[in-house]
Amino acid sequence: MNFFDRFAIPHPNIAIYASMVAIGMTVIAIIAGLTYFKKWGYLWREWLTTVDHKRIGIMYLLSALLMLFRGGVDAIMMRAQTAVPDNTLLDAQHYNEVFTTHGIVMIIFMAMPFIYALMNFVVPLQIGARDVAFPRLNALSFWLFFMGAMLFNISFVIGGSPDAGWTSYFPLAGNKLSESVGTNYYMIALQIAGLGTLLSGINFITTILKMRAPGITLMKMPIFTWSALTANAIVVFAFPVLTVALLMGTMDRLFGTNFFTTTNGGMDMLWANLFWVWGHPEVYILILPAFGVYSEIISTFARRNLYGYKSMVVSMVIISFLSFLVWTHHFFTMGQGALTNSIFSITTMAIGIPTGIKIFNWLLTLWKGKIDFTVPMLYSVGFIPIFTIGGVTGVMLGMSAADYQYHNTMFLVAHFHYTIIPGVVFAMIAGLTYWWPKMFGFMLNERIGKWAFWFIAISFNVTFFPMFFAGLNGQARRMYTYSTSTGFGPLNLLSFIGAIGLAVGFGLLVYNIYYSFRYASRNISSDPWDARSLEWATHNPVPAYNFAIIPEADSIEAFWDAKQKGSSLFKGEYKKIHMPNNSGVPFIMSCLIFTWGFSFVFSMWIPVVITTLGVFVCMAHRSFEIDHGHYISVEEIEETENELRGA
Amino acid sequence: MMKIDNSLPLEYKTEQNQINILGFWIFLGAEIMLFGTLFASYFTLVNRTGNGPTGAEIFEITPVLIETIVLLTSSFIIGLGIHAMRLGKKTAVMIFFAITLLLGLVFLSFEISEFVHYVHIGAGLQTSAFTAILLTTLGIHGAHVTLGFFWGLFIILQIKKRGLTPEIANKSFIFSLYWHFLDVVWIFIFSFVYLKGMM
Amino acid sequence: MKELFPLKQVKGFAFSLILTGMALVVLYFKLSFTAGMTILLITAFIQAGLQLVVFMHAGETKDKGAIYTNIYYALAIALVTVFGTLLCMIWGYA
Repeated sequence: MNFFDRFAIPHPNIAIYASMVAIGMTVIAIIAGLTYFKKWGYLWREWLTTVDHKRIGIMYLLSALLMLFRGGVDAIMMRAQTAVPDNTLLDAQHYNEVFTTHGIVMIIFMAMPFIYALMNFVVPLQIGARDVAFPRLNALSFWLFFMGAMLFNISFVIGGSPDAGWTSYFPLAGNKLSESVGTNYYMIALQIAGLGTLLSGINFITTILKMRAPGITLMKMPIFTWSALTANAIVVFAFPVLTVALLMGTMDRLFGTNFFTTTNGGMDMLWANLFWVWGHPEVYILILPAFGVYSEIISTFARRNLYGYKSMVVSMVIISFLSFLVWTHHFFTMGQGALTNSIFSITTMAIGIPTGIKIFNWLLTLWKGKIDFTVPMLYSVGFIPIFTIGGVTGVMLGMSAADYQYHNTMFLVAHFHYTIIPGVVFAMIAGLTYWWPKMFGFMLNERIGKWAFWFIAISFNVTFFPMFFAGLNGQARRMYTYSTSTGFGPLNLLSFIGAIGLAVGFGLLVYNIYYSFRYASRNISSDPWDARSLEWATHNPVPAYNFAIIPEADSIEAFWDAKQKGSSLFKGEYKKIHMPNNSGVPFIMSCLIFTWGFSFVFSMWIPVVITTLGVFVCMAHRSFEIDHGHYISVEEIEETENELRGA
Repeated sequence: MMKIDNSLPLEYKTEQNQINILGFWIFLGAEIMLFGTLFASYFTLVNRTGNGPTGAEIFEITPVLIETIVLLTSSFIIGLGIHAMRLGKKTAVMIFFAITLLLGLVFLSFEISEFVHYVHIGAGLQTSAFTAILLTTLGIHGAHVTLGFFWGLFIILQIKKRGLTPEIANKSFIFSLYWHFLDVVWIFIFSFVYLKGMM
Repeated sequence: MKELFPLKQVKGFAFSLILTGMALVVLYFKLSFTAGMTILLITAFIQAGLQLVVFMHAGETKDKGAIYTNIYYALAIALVTVFGTLLCMIWGYA
């Protein structure tokens, strides 16, 4: 029994036991369903071994939506616990576990896959390519993310959830103060998922630099593709820092080293420093593609080209560089002197300038446009004022002397939710709604979508605006409860009511997906929004090879221009198309890595060694493998094109 | 995809080959940040020796100099290997690659005995923050060399079996980029860990 | 490009050995910290540049813009990380 003791939950409660049962039942249901409907072959052939960027994008999307649910449940639990003083819904330990998982899940396992879902599906189409530069690596990236997510998500039912905050500061995250394996899960799951992201960064930069269709120079690329380029540039240089930090944290916890301890020369502050050297660029990784989505949507539904394309590009490039220069503003109060803090205050305020330029460009795009308030446009227009509140409170926090008042209060919590939700989440919902018809062949219902938007937009403000005041009144962050005499009660109750509204709004989103899946017409145009960029010049559904003939584009809005002029983007004859083969190795290798990670978390060294060897065998196999892909013949292309054109 | 530009060296001839090489350079950019972070941590923790020894107390110049010369030479040899590859000389390529990997093994054996020595004299992984970051930095570089050894070995086997095709030339060139990069990292380790520590 | 004798490689190798020797100077002469660090920095960066251009053929193809941009960017950010970390953790610490 001793061997199995390590898997027990250190702090069980009824909700955790219920979850164990639910997870078990879900797994059984999935396996039973696949078997009954004889879909194992289909699953393997079409999804587990795919290297198609469109399929991979959809898998990222499904994962993100699932994780949004988990993170959202965490959020409701937190708001419910703090709705009234001295509440006993969650004790301190469980509250810690919930806010920790909420942060990790939302940022790493919801927002990141969401942006990669959109970038994966859209970017190759926007540049007229047939896939990304390294399709196999792309598949590996997804499965690494997926395994990292799965590993993290079972922590709360096997061994114990991490509970030291999403920032996992030492010495709290060290062995003495966090005895359970929870923080091991943190270190290792993030390492695995982070590796996947780093590989994607390399993949997308290479794709965008090398695989654009003829005529699409850098300054003629769609703006979303530019946002993907700048965001992935940040990924390539930021994620290695996280790799090192997590390695050192793992070594402290599992190998007794003294990187971040309080004895033998260890420096706990170094963790916070390295974490944020990664962590700040990370939030810009999230926001830049979101900005790209807004640029596309605003110009499409204002029925005019984006104002200030060049300055939009330049501002994103500047943001990507400056994002590496501001990290200390996350720990102004950790003990640096005034000079150091002031330097980072200045860089922090500087990064507001290119962001401001973008806001003005969006406004100017709207100014002379003929605005069509579709659901994506509602989110984009709602984003501008709400995000601005987040932005200006960011400037307040960025003044280091003043930050001593705001740091780690609810004011801070409100600030980052005011940037991340209207910034990233609204953009993801808008982008999802916008590109949904291209992905799935039907439209999401406008009416339900609008209801969802208003519930979400209004409830968001009801939830988070009171937190500014609660923070200024002295409510600290990550407090599991407070007494009545503090006076925090009414504001927190308001937040809870808002949170319920958010739950309704997101519920409507899910309902919209179900409703539209059931009832929406599949007989839609391949360009239902009358849009401007190249991804809309494909059929519905997009064939595996994307474009039968590589398009020739010669302007920023080549598709729109072609529509206006009545000219064709596709000149010439069909030629056989070279496509990569599917492969099971990314999936298998990732399963091995999951097992490796799980064994590592529990210090089971023999399985660690065995799975490590397995991973190296996969890599050796790849080295010796000869795989030249396959060709799609001209006859097949003709057949597919004729079929799709009929629709 | 298989359009061959015969004006270019073998490793660049096809479109996919050029894409692979660029992708690898970007990976090296990420590796610069990986080692950069290790150096940042090293300089921060270098004087935090707790009850353990300092660098000056444990570093010995002779094995370090040997490691450096060995690695520099291996970098030169693989440069000769790529040069031979561009001239289409298959056997020469295999010999130069084999010597490179052999020198890599020599480097690793010196480094392993260096580590064993440190543990013996009380500078183990768990001794202090300084020893932790020292051994981790050296260890990660060494792990990269070890991975490189096996990767290079697989390439030699492929050259033997399949000859110098554009694909294999591409792989060999990319491997050489990796090997040169590791030498660059070592130069910084040599200068700012060992020499600076013994100044 | 078709020379039989690898002159560039030999010159590069010789130069890198010389640079290594120069770096050793800091060990065998009593130099101030600044002087020593300067020598180390110069020799290390020159050797790195040498490897990059001569051995790694960084400037050879039409991708050289992307390659050099990538390396300079990585270098810049790495230096910011090193010096920023030292500033926050040690030099600028109150």
